[in-house]
Parts: sequence; C-alpha cells; structure tokens
Amino acid sequence: MTVLEDLMERCAGALAAAEGLHDAARRGVRGMVAGPGGGVEAGLVDRHQHAAHGLAWMATCLEGLRQMLRWARALDGAGRLGEVERLTAQIAFGEYLAQFAGGVAMSQAEIVRPHDLGVSDGDLHRFWTPDVAVLTKASGDGPRRRLAEILAAGWRDSGFGEDGLAGDLAMVRDQFRRYAGEKVRPFAHRWHLDDDLIPLELLRELAGLGVFGLSVPEEHGGLGMSKVAMCVVTEELSRGYIGVGSLGTRTEIAAELIINGGTGEQKERWLPGIVSGEIIPTAVFTEPGTGSDLGSLQTRAVRDGGVYRVTGNKTWITHAARADVMTLLARTDPDEKGYRGLSMFLAEKPRGDDADPFPAEGMSGGEIEVLGYRGMKEYEIAFDGFEVEARNLLGGEEGKGFKQLMATFESARVQTGARAVGVAQAALELGLAYATERRQFGRAIAGFPRVANKIAWMAVETMIARQLCWFAAREKDAGRRCDLEAGMAKLLGARVAWSNADNALQIHGGNGYAQEYEISRILCDARILSIFEGAAEIQAQVIARRLLSDAN
Amino acid sequence: MKVLVPVKRVIDYNVKVRVKADRTGVDLANVKMSMNPFDEIAVEEAVRMKEAGAADEAVAVSLGPQQSQETLRTALAMGADRAIHVVHDGELEPLAVAKMLAGVVGEEAPDLVILGKQAIDDDANQTGQMLSGLLGWSQGTFVSKVDASDGAVRVVREVDGGLETVALRMPAVLTVDLRLNEPRYASLPNIMKARKKEIARKTPADLGVDTTPRLNTLRVEEPPKRQGGLKVGSVAELVDKLHNDAGVI
Repeated sequence: MTVLEDLMERCAGALAAAEGLHDAARRGVRGMVAGPGGGVEAGLVDRHQHAAHGLAWMATCLEGLRQMLRWARALDGAGRLGEVERLTAQIAFGEYLAQFAGGVAMSQAEIVRPHDLGVSDGDLHRFWTPDVAVLTKASGDGPRRRLAEILAAGWRDSGFGEDGLAGDLAMVRDQFRRYAGEKVRPFAHRWHLDDDLIPLELLRELAGLGVFGLSVPEEHGGLGMSKVAMCVVTEELSRGYIGVGSLGTRTEIAAELIINGGTGEQKERWLPGIVSGEIIPTAVFTEPGTGSDLGSLQTRAVRDGGVYRVTGNKTWITHAARADVMTLLARTDPDEKGYRGLSMFLAEKPRGDDADPFPAEGMSGGEIEVLGYRGMKEYEIAFDGFEVEARNLLGGEEGKGFKQLMATFESARVQTGARAVGVAQAALELGLAYATERRQFGRAIAGFPRVANKIAWMAVETMIARQLCWFAAREKDAGRRCDLEAGMAKLLGARVAWSNADNALQIHGGNGYAQEYEISRILCDARILSIFEGAAEIQAQVIARRLLSDAN
Repeated sequence: MKVLVPVKRVIDYNVKVRVKADRTGVDLANVKMSMNPFDEIAVEEAVRMKEAGAADEAVAVSLGPQQSQETLRTALAMGADRAIHVVHDGELEPLAVAKMLAGVVGEEAPDLVILGKQAIDDDANQTGQMLSGLLGWSQGTFVSKVDASDGAVRVVREVDGGLETVALRMPAVLTVDLRLNEPRYASLPNIMKARKKEIARKTPADLGVDTTPRLNTLRVEEPPKRQGGLKVGSVAELVDKLHNDAGVI
C-alpha cells in the first residue's frame, strides 16, 4: 500500500508525539541557557548556539508539519485530497519525523542530534509511537517513486498538487502565473547573463497590475489586500525571476515604514507615488562593517538648519542607482552607541544609470558584481555631506529608526519566504522537465529512483515551505505578532530553495553547470535567500530566543 | 450598445487530458479548470469595445456547475460589468446551450453576442452558429477583426483561402478566432472590483429549455501512442522501407 489508509489519523497522532519531543528539547535547551536566576542569559544562548539554533530548526520543521496537516485536512474536507496531496503529506511527515529522531540539518555541515538538545533516551522512546513508526516507514523509496511518477506524467495543471487556494486568491495566482510565464520567465535568463536591469517597461506593467500597492491600505491609495495575496503574487513573480519577485520587497519595506512611522504629511507625499510605481524605493541599512548587528551602524546624519548632512559608507544596496528615494538608517545621536541613536530618513535622490549611477551632490558609489540575484544590481555607496531635508526624517522624530525598521521585519520576512518558495518551485520545475526529457540507457532519467526521489522530495518540501509561509502571512493578516512564524517561513523557505536548486542542477548533470541552462542561474539566485533579510543563523537565533523566553 | 459574452469553463489548456479508466469520458477529478481560451478573447474584445466607447455594457454568461462562477469572476475581473450564471450539473450539448443562450438573449436584448469559435474541450464549433440560427440573426464566424458602429459591424474572417471581410447587420452573433486580440491579465484592482459585481443565477427551467443530451457517448479513447521512428543508413534503404514497409510509394 503506497498511501496509508488512515493517513490523517496517523499524522495527527504523530504530530502530538513530535510536539512532546519538542517540549522535551525546549526544556533541555533551556537548562543550558538559564542563568542562576532561572532567566535566559544572552551569553549562554550564544555559547549554546548549536543547541539553541537546533531547537529553532526543529520547531520550524514541526510548524511545517502542523501546517501540512491543516492543509491536508482542508483539502480533505473539500473533497480535493487526491493521491498527489496524500503522498505529499505522508512523505513530509515521515521524513521530518525521522529527522527529529535522528538529526535535523541546519546546513549541510551542521546536523543537530536529539541529545544535543538535551533530549533523553526516554524522551526519544516516548516519541517513537506507532504513528511515528508507521509514517517514517511509509515515506521511503516506494511512495517517493510513485509521487515522482505522477509528477513526471504531468497530466495535471502544473502537477504539484492542490495548494489549497480558492476564490480571489486562486484567480490572483492564475493571473500572475500566466503573467510570469509569458512576460518574465522567457527573458529572465538573458537579463541575468547580460547583468541587465529589469526593463522599466516591466515595472510599469507591474504597477498597472497593482503589485506595488497590493498590501497598502486603501486610505493610502493601495488595494488593502492580504499578506497572503502578497505571498501568492510574490511567489509567482519569483518563479519567473527572483529579481522581479523582489521588486515588491523594497516597496513593501518603504510603504510599511511610512504607514507605521510616517507623519500624515509624509504619507500623503510618498505613498501615492510608491503605490503607482512612479517612485522606486531602495533600502539603505547595511554598512561595510555592519551587517546582522544593525544597532552598531556608523553612518552619521548631522542636523544643519533645514537639512541633515549624511556622512558614511553603505553597502549591499539593491536597485540603488535607479531608486528615487532611500529609506536610510543613520546615527543622529553619536553619544548613543546602540540602536537608540539611529534615525530613519526618506532621502530623495535623482535617478541614475549605468554611466552615472549616483548623480547627486555628496553621494558616490559603484556596482558590486554578484553571482545571482541580478536585475536590480547591488551597489556600495559613500555619503560625504549628502543632504537630506529635515522634513524627510521619518515620523519627525530622531532616535526611532531602529524600532521603525523592526516593525517592518515581519512583513519583509514573510515576503522573502514567498520569494524563496517561488525560486524553489522554479528549480523543481526545471529539474522535473529535464528529468522527463533527458534519456540515458534507453529511458527518461526521471524513471531512475535516485532522480525520482530527488524530484519527490523537492515537491514535498516546496509545499511545506509554501504552507508555512502562508501560515505566517495569515497570522500577520489577523493582526497577531508573527516574528516567530515569519522567521520560520524565511528560514525554511531559503533552505528549500537552495536544496531544490542544488538537486535540480544535479539532475541536469554537466549541462546544469553550463551558463546556458536556466538552472545555473537558479542556483546562484537561490543562494542569496539564506543570506539576505536576516542570515539563516540570525534567523535561527531570533526564533530560538522567542522559543526559550516563551517557556518561562 | 450592449454585448453579451458567453464563457465556458473547460479543462485548463496546460493540462494533459486523461481518459477515465472506464472509458466513459475524461477524468476531471482534481483537474485544473479555466475559461475557454477563445472565450477569453471574446471577453477581451467586448471590454475593448467598452473602453473604445463602442459598447456601453458587457454581460458575461456561463452555463454549468457551481464552479462556473469562478469563470464568471474571471470575466468580471477582466472588465465585464455583470454576469449571469445558468446553473446546470452534467453534460450539455451545443444545441441545448444555444437554446439557453437564446433565452438569455431574449431577456437581455444585446446588440452583439461575442463568443469563442469553439471550446477546447469538445471542439464542437457549433454553439455560435446554432444560436444565430435560433435567433435569426446575422453571424460572423472565425473573426479576427471587428469594427462595430451604428447598427452595422464589419468583421474579418479567417477562411481557408485567406481573409474575408463581411459586413453584418446588427444584432449579430460573432465567433472569435485566436488572432483577434491578446487577452489582458486581470489586474489586482480589477480582481478586487469583481468581488462586488453581480452574478445573477438562473436555471435551465427558468429559460424553458430541456437539456437532455441527444447523443449517446459509447466510448472515449486516448489517441494511439506514437510509434518510435528508426534511422536508415542510405537512400536506397529509405526507398525500400517506404515501398515495402510503409507501402506509400
């Protein structure tokens, strides 16, 4: 029997067992990081990063399973749980459960074992219930080959199972899938190889489709759509090209900054242009010496009458040359060394081009050549007395910059999770297409188990990442704090994108290593996802801190 | 001027169609469905006529199960003003569809009915022509260009020998071909607006139409699998194969 008859009951039972194991792991890690007073000590969390981050990874995979069960139940209720969806849920559970027992991979080089988390043999024994045992055995070669066989036959839509969307969201998905398939994907590889900027014409089209005002409330000229809708659009555009899916990220950050932290006048002044796509924003935070430790930024902004004069170096600024406004984080209070001394500016700048990227007084810079994630280009920028009008201080108040930025992290991470799912899906599709076309030893290579198993796992884990991402988005839509869920969506999505890209390239063999093949680009594009918007290690740290403090 | 656009919910054109194991029909379980691509072109044309000021209202109509509402929502998101859903589960043949559309035409009194030349599921290519016959209206079929104004419409038709331009008196039925236009993508604002547009519900009984199929489907089969080819070493061998094996020369 490839698909378990009592799959739903088994999954529910196994989920409860996994939650028990997770509780044991949380107790175990808490024991390592608690100080004499019983509270979590930051220094101990740092010293026990392997365990703390391992807990974060385990919790992330567990949340993924929880969402997979929710997804499967909803489909079941609607009579839409077919063989592909059943196999997907079954393999997801079996694989992650086995990893909980044997070790969760935080990266290819670091696998966290149960005993690293302070889990006892007794805890492990209690975890290994009949449900867990049955699912683990039912997620191996047989079900995976069957799933790959159905996918390779490709008789359904894009053939990867129901995602669970209905109504407007399904229409949004279909429209943007078609758009990305016709207007983005056919050109993406050329843009990448030529290191071209995405044509402005495409930005105008996206603006016309409403992409830049998607989640901006209606009172500010946007559409007031949900974050789930934002995820759907982002995934489909990223499936065409990560650069295009990422155009919305800077808009999202800038719009959220202004909506949450801006004055009435600033909202009126900036939001309409951002929504209509006439104003291209860019985010200017990172410095050569300051990445993850954002609170220690050095760039100074000094008040001088009606302006601030900005001096300092910034780097990894995406789309900087063509941008019209920078959300710029700089230190206004030199006596305050931490994040309290930082302020956010909406700094206007003239649009530049390749010949003259930064045609502004007090501003210079150049392109950073990168492996992938092209289309908007990366820049380093030097400010030397660059003027920002005082009225462009966000919220009209100094010292609020870091908090204003923090308020955007949830949305930005959910959106990055969706970008990752889009890239993961693109990799999966390329791998599958190649596997069905490429023939060796007299048959399509998709028929060989080692290829089939890769395809099956790619499809399964992409669905886990997708459902986890939509869960985080729904939490955000419900107005609940979701830094934990958003971080999980980003953390897992990024790993899945990289894993899929790597596996899909392996399926391509030598051809995948040729720049001519799209998968070579996807590999480069996927790699950034574990680095930007909170590196995987920082993401795990944030998740771990929340998990450990919640255990109080 | 008012335009009525019938749209049909069919298996998505990307889906590889499979015949059910019992060979009674095509497997529709968990299969992605979309608007018939030719009907999308019809909707696009009606919306363009509105945008150009040639039409005042575009009304979409669909006959089919509950889920046909999704197809109508897509038409509304593309720019149709309102929609009519004639709810019907089960098979519908072109004549029944044409009769029901004639009933809707009687109620709505449009100046033009624009629909796809055929649906990609059964490829019947009959509904438009039957509708025109039932109504006694002019018909322009396989249309690749439309120019409607002041009670007359000129259309360019794709025919075997090339292009034929025909002038029709209105009201008229137009069935549209692939090259008429390129349907737009429904934008997010228009998808949001479509939520608020009205979809009126009717039944075949409201229109007084008996939908009982007149054809009995005996069996549905997949086309035979293509046989693999072979390479020949010389022209002589090719000629020999064509003569002796294929029997074509």
